[in-house]
Amino acid sequence: MKRAYLICLLLSLCALPGCVDQTYIEDISLSLLLGMDLDEKNRLVISSTSPVFSKEAKEKEENTIVHAVSLRQSREEFDSMITTLTSRGKVQLLLIGKRILEHPDWFKLLDALYRDGKNTTMSRVVLVDGSVADLIKFKPKDKPILPLYLLKLIDTAHDQNITVKTSLQELHRQFTEKGMSPSFAELKKDGQIKVKGTALLDRSGKYKMTLNADQTKLLRILQNETRGVFPFTIHLHEQPNKGFFQENITSFYPNFIKVKIKADYKNGGFVFDIKIKMGISMTERIFNYNVRKQAPELEKQIQEELQNQIRQMLEKVQAAKIDPFGLGLYARAYEYSHWKKVQDAWGVAFSDATVNVKVKVRIRAMGSTT
Amino acid sequence: MKKDAQNGITFMQYIFIIHGSQVGTGVFSLPRILADKAGTDGWISLFLGWGLSVIASILIVLIFRKYPNDTLPELMIRLFGKIVGKILILPVIFYFAFFVWTILTSAMLFIKQWFLPMTPDYVVMFLLIAPGYLVASRSLRILGRYCELVFYMMILMFFLFLFPLGDSHWVHLLPIMKEGWLPIFHGVFSAIYSFLGFEIVFFIYPYLQKRSLAIRGVIIANTLTLLFYLEVTLICFAFFSPDGITEYNQPVFNLLKVIDFNFLERIDMLFLALYLFELSTAWLPFTFGAIFSLGFLFGTKNPARYASLLFLLIVVLSFFLHPSWNQNDQWIIFSGQAGLWFAYVFPAILYLYVLIYNRLRRSESL
Repeated sequence: MKRAYLICLLLSLCALPGCVDQTYIEDISLSLLLGMDLDEKNRLVISSTSPVFSKEAKEKEENTIVHAVSLRQSREEFDSMITTLTSRGKVQLLLIGKRILEHPDWFKLLDALYRDGKNTTMSRVVLVDGSVADLIKFKPKDKPILPLYLLKLIDTAHDQNITVKTSLQELHRQFTEKGMSPSFAELKKDGQIKVKGTALLDRSGKYKMTLNADQTKLLRILQNETRGVFPFTIHLHEQPNKGFFQENITSFYPNFIKVKIKADYKNGGFVFDIKIKMGISMTERIFNYNVRKQAPELEKQIQEELQNQIRQMLEKVQAAKIDPFGLGLYARAYEYSHWKKVQDAWGVAFSDATVNVKVKVRIRAMGSTT
Repeated sequence: MKKDAQNGITFMQYIFIIHGSQVGTGVFSLPRILADKAGTDGWISLFLGWGLSVIASILIVLIFRKYPNDTLPELMIRLFGKIVGKILILPVIFYFAFFVWTILTSAMLFIKQWFLPMTPDYVVMFLLIAPGYLVASRSLRILGRYCELVFYMMILMFFLFLFPLGDSHWVHLLPIMKEGWLPIFHGVFSAIYSFLGFEIVFFIYPYLQKRSLAIRGVIIANTLTLLFYLEVTLICFAFFSPDGITEYNQPVFNLLKVIDFNFLERIDMLFLALYLFELSTAWLPFTFGAIFSLGFLFGTKNPARYASLLFLLIVVLSFFLHPSWNQNDQWIIFSGQAGLWFAYVFPAILYLYVLIYNRLRRSESL
């Protein structure tokens, strides 16, 4: 009996490797980069880049561009054009053309990426200022294949906090969370590919504005996302600025950043008190200054400059009626009854909110020269 | 039937059988269901659900304290006589067998959804069951050993969920009790379904070697389950936006998708494959309950025969029925409601009945 059962078990192994949905690795085209754009006639264009594993092939990457009604349907179009089956389990980047962001509710188009369990949700979402098709045809000679090059570009830029790394998973959170508005990295091809900064969208998905690299750092701090490095270079207006080279420049990076956010409701509007505390190490100071003796004064000047920059950015963002910082989360957490009334139009409520930012800087190291 | 020492289970095995039968596929969708009913306060419902299930399982132990050598079928016959008792066992058998069927079909559906979408249902079902038969056809002690082993294997799983902590936003949880107690009470119903499984105590209590520890055992088992559910739920709530979590059918998988190491991606796939072990400790105790009662009904004690009968039935059923997700959801709801009566209401009634029954008998003998 026992032996018979064992033999039956072994026989059942025959069923295993024959599992009907086997695919050979040679038959799969691993799509590493996926692009979505609208052409001049406003038709949806889906493009895909995958590496080619073949010695005979001269090009190491394969670009396919099709017109399609949806992402999933585009796969059939791809399969009819290339010899192998398209797999989207390894998509590293999702490029979205700016023309798409002119229309609201494009986020629903991404449904296939979330619904089909075989797709990854770790792909980075990137806005392309210009045509996606142009970008993916770009083949720089001194760079690895485009998907890997872009991947490194975004990841290292994110480590320096000059742009944000928004995965599909994170994008879903940003679109469903009523207390914030989506934001993701923005690229531009101008002869060479360059990270422009962070694109800010409203809750319907329409493009609103772009934050440059410096503003992105401030955005990250206000989001209370303080991982990675935050190299700052600022002009101190109280320092002498004479000569051909601007002398009032100083650079530094914080060793630590602590952010405290408080939400309150006063006189019919939300009030946010944001306290940012950072200890900095100086890496550059072109003007002469005696840090050993007059550190507090310099700290104060840096504080004020940072506060000014944050205030300017906040004004622009509030005018656009969006909240990429996610301050709505704090409004919900601390002023729930008031939040409930405005939750469906948080962007408008946020544009009327008062945001007080206090930066406290302590110089912890002045570098190896005085 | 004599509960011979050779067949007894240790205190640890007792705990892990109960804990194992509580944790099944429900945990994948638990955060969504709790968020649906109680918003971000759903985790408080878990505590209430835990309290109720602890009370119910202690009641079961208290009933059997009075008849320490009885399992549920024996107690039924003692209390209600041979014929009524045997009729009352029938729904119990059906209940346990149906649970086995629902857990197995949902495991099969998960495997089909994530690994083998084109493989026929019955092949997947057969492959799932075949190794389980080796445990199910033996005594309770083998089951106990197996559950204990699987628990130790699965401890790493507990730590896996800590990886997404870096991307969580704990501010989602505030304010606590944003809508008062009412939604939390709504959530309790979903929470108590997920604690179902402790009713296996009806069958394993007399086999426990140190029966004085039985109450401590059920409390520990329920608490282990609570800790696991609480961890998963809280991390899901902190990770997904409160408005977005309800859009994922199984938020736990989406959570696991996010973990990627330089050398390994798509942990969700790996996790599901490993989780099949955890699932087996859910349907195997239920199988034990079903075939034990079957054996009692027909008076012969041959677990192997009944196990093969039950499993054959399940494979054949899956061949003809081709269960769908929606059907499976309905079955889960149905078995959950049946469980509500069998595991929560029935012990309370039985306990009262036993109290009155004993008092009457004592006054008679006086």
